[in-house]
Amino acid sequence: MLTDIQCLTLPDKMQLYSILLDAIPSSILVLDGSLRIVSVNRNFLEKSQRLMKDTISRRLEEVFPAVILEHTSIKKQVYDCFEKKRVVRGHRMTYRAPGIPIRTYYYSILPIGADESVRLVVLLMEDVTEQVRLSEEVRRMERHLASVVESAQDIVLSTDLSGRILTWNSAAEKLSGFKFNEVKGHCWSEFCSQVANITGFLEQICFGSDVHTAEWELITKENQMIPVSWVVSPMMDDYRKVVGFVAVGRDLTEQRKLEYQLRQSQKIAALGVMAGGIAHEIRNPLAICSSAAQFLQEESLPTHFARECADKIQVSIEKISSIIENLLRFSRPTTASEMVSVDLVKVVQEALTLIASHAKVQNICVNSQFPKQLVLVSGVASLLQQVFLNLCLNAVNAMPNGGTLTVSFFLYSDCVEVQVEDTGVGINPKDFDKIFDPFHTTSPIGKGTGLGLTICYSIIKQHFGHILVESYLNQGSKFTVKLPLQQKDS
Amino acid sequence: MLKKADYLVVDDEPDICWVMKRILGSAGGSVVTLQTGEEVLALIKSHAFGRVFMDAKLPDIEGLELARQVHELVPSLQIVLVSGYYYKDDPTIQQALSDGLIYDFIAKPFTHNDILKML
Repeated sequence: MLTDIQCLTLPDKMQLYSILLDAIPSSILVLDGSLRIVSVNRNFLEKSQRLMKDTISRRLEEVFPAVILEHTSIKKQVYDCFEKKRVVRGHRMTYRAPGIPIRTYYYSILPIGADESVRLVVLLMEDVTEQVRLSEEVRRMERHLASVVESAQDIVLSTDLSGRILTWNSAAEKLSGFKFNEVKGHCWSEFCSQVANITGFLEQICFGSDVHTAEWELITKENQMIPVSWVVSPMMDDYRKVVGFVAVGRDLTEQRKLEYQLRQSQKIAALGVMAGGIAHEIRNPLAICSSAAQFLQEESLPTHFARECADKIQVSIEKISSIIENLLRFSRPTTASEMVSVDLVKVVQEALTLIASHAKVQNICVNSQFPKQLVLVSGVASLLQQVFLNLCLNAVNAMPNGGTLTVSFFLYSDCVEVQVEDTGVGINPKDFDKIFDPFHTTSPIGKGTGLGLTICYSIIKQHFGHILVESYLNQGSKFTVKLPLQQKDS
Repeated sequence: MLKKADYLVVDDEPDICWVMKRILGSAGGSVVTLQTGEEVLALIKSHAFGRVFMDAKLPDIEGLELARQVHELVPSLQIVLVSGYYYKDDPTIQQALSDGLIYDFIAKPFTHNDILKML
């Protein structure tokens, strides 16, 4: 309920004035021209541990600690305010009253008066000790965080919404060869291989995509490509609005070397698994060649029979040669890491050719349905071939008493699914979570390394794809490899 | 009354059958060639053979399994396994020999003398 101040009597006005003054949470001193205190509020008295009667009418020097007056120009500033109406706003001073920890104030000196003359000056002091302590705390935290980021072995960079680089730590400088001032303000994608990908990826994060990891090569100053695994997180403001991104990148060079060696050894292991089938498939035509040659050694052979022998030798040798060529193609180390345009149909057909011998000796009927057109994906053909060979090999091994292996393609607008289905033993539900783990195998010792599916998984991830599995015990399993189709314009 | 033939050759590779037919024929025997286990089990009930030459991997059955089933039907029948899948001192083969499941083993490729020695 507001009262019209004009209606109040003088004592009431005085009382209202002093209530208001005491209610102000800052320290207030009102000084006259001779620098004597004419008014003071409760806050000041509490902070300076003084009584009203020891303060009113006293000179500023008696009320204010000498040490402050000596080290600041408060007294002069008050004079200047009286004489030149010079206002002081937000200067800082620190003050320690006896027995009280140091406190920090922002003070202002403001003239009060009618017309031209300044009759009184207000010294307003804001206690900012807590804020100062907090801001120092914040600064210390910032320094600490900065040193954490700087000491990290991994790349830590941040970007704005459009992917322009805002920060770039020492590890990023070391790995890329670019100093921060060379990359600042540049698009992060300029330093990564998959240019088109990053912008889209960041947009997806903004739209709430939960995929925040990717593998993009970093392009160094020497134009080298370094494989890097990135984890990207959105930076939010106080209103949960995305204002930028933080990306942490780990150099995968060492890991890639190990993966390469693993893949190579797993290939050899796969060949070992197929050895029996391969031997059988090669020795049959060899036996035909050998026998035909032995027939040819006989005396007085009818010409037509001799020709028949020679034809059979010719056909058998071609058969053997093509089996050996496929094996060679598969067992050679993959040196290519460059993602090129690959026809997935051809890759899967080659994998099926490779396991044909093995499937045949295991009494497995292979059904495959291939699309008529090219199915182009971006990838490394020999790696993808290893994936499908492993999946088909697993399918064959899951059918010790024979069965059917079905390989089918499903084309969508932006991706392709290849399903490898068997009618075998299926996967035990208790093993289901472990099938992609390294060295997890249900094969007898010496039959499987337990690396096949691990390698499939890592290769498919490298191709930005997914691998899914459905399985029913004693009914069979179905592995689905999903890969993004190559964009028409790339 | 069982029909008689000297040799039965079981292999799903037609050219191997062609080879075996000629080798065994040159030794003066009659030869029947079959390609699946099912055909074999059907035929040995009505025919008597002096010797069986069998591949280890057939489209519908493992050669050794077929040998076991043939033995149940005709215990006296001697089976020679002719295969490129195994080798002479392969534990599986050694076991089959010591069990009497097969009479002998010949690895592919073979000399014609290897086959003729079995007659």
